[in-house]
Amino acid sequence: MGLWRHARNTYQHPMPNLLALARLPLAAARSSPVRPAGLMPREAASDAVLMRWAAAGDRAAFGVLVERHGERALRVALRVLGNAAEAEEVAQEAFLRAWQAAAGFDPDRAQFTTWLHRITLNLAIDRTRRHVSAPNAGDAALAALPDPGPGPEASAVAAEEQMALAAALARLPARQRAAIALAYEDGLSGAEAAAALDVSERALEGLLRRARLMLRRILSS
Amino acid sequence: MTPSRFARLLDTHGPHPERWPAARRAGSAALLATSAEAKALLAAAQSLDARLGTDLPHPASDAVVRLRAAVAWQIARTPLPAASSPWTRVWELLRPAVPAGWGALAAMATCALWLSLAAAPAIGDPLAPLQALPIAEDPL
Repeated sequence: MGLWRHARNTYQHPMPNLLALARLPLAAARSSPVRPAGLMPREAASDAVLMRWAAAGDRAAFGVLVERHGERALRVALRVLGNAAEAEEVAQEAFLRAWQAAAGFDPDRAQFTTWLHRITLNLAIDRTRRHVSAPNAGDAALAALPDPGPGPEASAVAAEEQMALAAALARLPARQRAAIALAYEDGLSGAEAAAALDVSERALEGLLRRARLMLRRILSS
Repeated sequence: MTPSRFARLLDTHGPHPERWPAARRAGSAALLATSAEAKALLAAAQSLDARLGTDLPHPASDAVVRLRAAVAWQIARTPLPAASSPWTRVWELLRPAVPAGWGALAAMATCALWLSLAAAPAIGDPLAPLQALPIAEDPL
């Protein structure tokens, strides 16, 4: 452990000003930890081990976590927000917060993915709530969808159905959208989804029930 | 099982019987065998489930690449994660008890205020009743 050099963290703001950061020298170059020989490859390590290494300053270990879970974090954020650019911002911020809080991560209390999803969902839901007062929030979600453009009739119909579903989802409360986003994630159990939303499994079922009921009503009307 | 309860089951657990609670599968199967309304409800739930399975938005592949690059760029310019201090760990351990702690503190403050405002009981001479008694040498 003596080979690992720790740096005192004086960083406070969760989302740094990128222009200000660009002027800083590379922190990695200032204080990159020396990786002891004989450790297993990062790609073979579990999430919990990678987080332990990240807490000790191993940025590459955290990069493997981003590689592993970035797509899902982005997908969940996109399904809650309905806007690709905002989803990217939220996913980036979620990973930054995870990096900053790496030392406090306790794998005995939660899996890394559950923890990351909780951060991502909280950020996405908070951002959605700020949009509620904004006019045409549903229209913004529609505008974020790709233009179907000219093409075969089948693809035009499919694009129309996607837009209708996006419009219906945009009318749901954010937590119901989050429940739907998690329920349709492959490999995510109900218990994990409930933990990510910080609710009981019964409460998650209630969110899903109301979401499906509302979606069917909107789509059939 | 009634059609309305079956509709609630479908909304809660989706249209796949393997995800339904085991106790309700037999009743649902019996209802489906006899009720056209239940069959229609199941078909509607399957249709919605299929749409959610295929039409929920997916991030573009270049967005995933951008995310990885942006996070790598940003964490390269941010300090290392703060090591958690012993006090932080103690606080994390005690935090679940905070609501109870605040309640106990409020109760103690109320008691202290009540005691300070209550009139102090008059403390007299505990031997006073004895002094009123006649002494043997006193003339009657």
